[in-house]
Amino acid sequence: MISSDVWKYFFDEYKHIIVAFILILMMPLAIPIPTATEMIIYGLYAMGFNIALGFTGMLSFGHAAFFGLGTYGAAIALRYFNSSVWTAILAGAVLAALGAFFIGALCVKKRGVYFALLIAAFGQMFYFLALSPLKHITGGEDGLKEIPILSIEFPFFIDLAKPFPLFLFTFFIVAVSVLLMHRFLNSPFGALMQGIRENETRLQACGYSVLFIKIIAFTVSGLFSGLAGALSTVYLGYGNLGSLYWLTSGRGVVMTLLGGMNSFFGPFLGAGIFIYFEDTISVMTARWEVFVGTMVILLILAFPDGILGTLEKRFRKTRKAETSIAQAIGNR
Amino acid sequence: MFGIPLNILLMQAILGLALGAVFVLLASGLSMIYGLMDVVNFAHGAYYMLGAYAVYTMSLFTGNFGLNIALSVIIVAGLGALTEITVLRPLYKRRNPLYPLLLTFGLSLAIPDVIKIFYGLMGKAVQYPEMFMGSFSVGTVIIPKYRMFVIVITFTVLIGLWLFLKKSNLGMFLRAATRDKEIVDVLGINVAGIMTLGFTIGIALAALGGSVAAPMVAVEPDMGVAMIMQSFVVTVVGGLGSLGGAIVGGIIIGEIVSFTSLFAGAYADVAIYFAMAVILLIRPRGLFGEIGRE
Repeated sequence: MISSDVWKYFFDEYKHIIVAFILILMMPLAIPIPTATEMIIYGLYAMGFNIALGFTGMLSFGHAAFFGLGTYGAAIALRYFNSSVWTAILAGAVLAALGAFFIGALCVKKRGVYFALLIAAFGQMFYFLALSPLKHITGGEDGLKEIPILSIEFPFFIDLAKPFPLFLFTFFIVAVSVLLMHRFLNSPFGALMQGIRENETRLQACGYSVLFIKIIAFTVSGLFSGLAGALSTVYLGYGNLGSLYWLTSGRGVVMTLLGGMNSFFGPFLGAGIFIYFEDTISVMTARWEVFVGTMVILLILAFPDGILGTLEKRFRKTRKAETSIAQAIGNR
Repeated sequence: MFGIPLNILLMQAILGLALGAVFVLLASGLSMIYGLMDVVNFAHGAYYMLGAYAVYTMSLFTGNFGLNIALSVIIVAGLGALTEITVLRPLYKRRNPLYPLLLTFGLSLAIPDVIKIFYGLMGKAVQYPEMFMGSFSVGTVIIPKYRMFVIVITFTVLIGLWLFLKKSNLGMFLRAATRDKEIVDVLGINVAGIMTLGFTIGIALAALGGSVAAPMVAVEPDMGVAMIMQSFVVTVVGGLGSLGGAIVGGIIIGEIVSFTSLFAGAYADVAIYFAMAVILLIRPRGLFGEIGRE
């Protein structure tokens, strides 16, 4: 018999996540299913990106490299090795994590804009390698096509060619990832990462290897970004060259800051909003970028800490005010 | 070298220098804006593109190429000043350089689309000015006149910029504000105005780059998107916030593109990012970056 305290603890710790999952599962009622699928894929990407930016304080302009490695890792596994979808997704994520590990190990000593642009240089290098020198493998500009129609055989049959099963499958992977990320960020190691963000020198003085923590954080960030990339291969049915282009990195930064980099689900919300507007407006007019661009500008001016970040802050402030009033009354 | 005659190599070097000159113009503007206001200007490529479109538009009305370039630069720089005052300025007090970055990213999405609405998706051709058509030769080396013109005008402008920064009072304020805005403010100088000026000069340089590049490249709405990453590479290789660094970086990257296209065309774009990674890993601040600005 589990005591009610444990349940209360469990509920307190996970209530935000449970609410978020319920909201995500309700999305297909209001939003076209393919758009909803894309929204949660990019949500995962932005949250993965935010492990580096929001939780460790490392800004990267090159996460397209990891998203793209995930995309191509999965696409190559599916196209050339006839692997199952599970293996392909795993392959994409592992490839991205390896890429993030090696690039991270080379670059984490750099700071600020230099770090950000150095990662971007690697991303662009991969993009141009995939564009022409490695054309015979990657398919060049057209992307990696001729991937067989996808379905899941194990543990039970799911036809991924249909939108709703695809959405549920994507949601399953995203949900597991979100839970893992939550666990990771709330672990002692996650606390060390946030320590680096707050005061790197002090952490070093405490005897921790800052470089090691940064490399691992960056690898985990790349892993989840790559996982999102692999899911995008499954979603699109081919490996998309655009996944490696620097605009993918830029979109990651925009989504994260739009939603709020100081909040766990902020990047997810930002990604959802960005993709929703992109998909909806691009159906109405080919000139969607002018609307999305303007919207980004207006949202930045209106929400200093990102949408969710600003809301959380305001909410916390009012709650703090209430508690202090309650305390004042209690003390009297 | 590799069985290619010397005169071809020299010619390739001059083509590389002309390409490098355009990079130099973009990178010195980027570097100046970053140095002064800590803004990584993602919209720089968009202003480069606007410069090219402005020259195209002007060329429909007048045939005077020099006048066209001058007017384009003034118009686009004016737009730059307007952007800075209306949307960038409110973000400075947040003291987080990520928000200006994000804002310029929004601009870099929106501006090319506005151009698509007015000019369509098709590329536009800008004619070479008659004066600089064709080429001349020095010995056996054939030099296209227009490329030479681009090289000369770039370095004239840069010398002018250098004189302005080093010798004029306003230039001194600009350099001082790059170091310490608070002290400059305390001395009673209008820092907000200085920032607008710096941003405007940066944008003017980008517009100049776009307008001189217009006859050499296809003028199309997305020309800046491809250019922006390369300009970042140049800026970072040279060292952020350093004018001399932007010049050396621009020439290096221009020559790398030029020569890899000669020997291994497919690797031209890979090569510049590879060069950047190598240079940064060896010299973390770029070639001429200041200590403490990394």
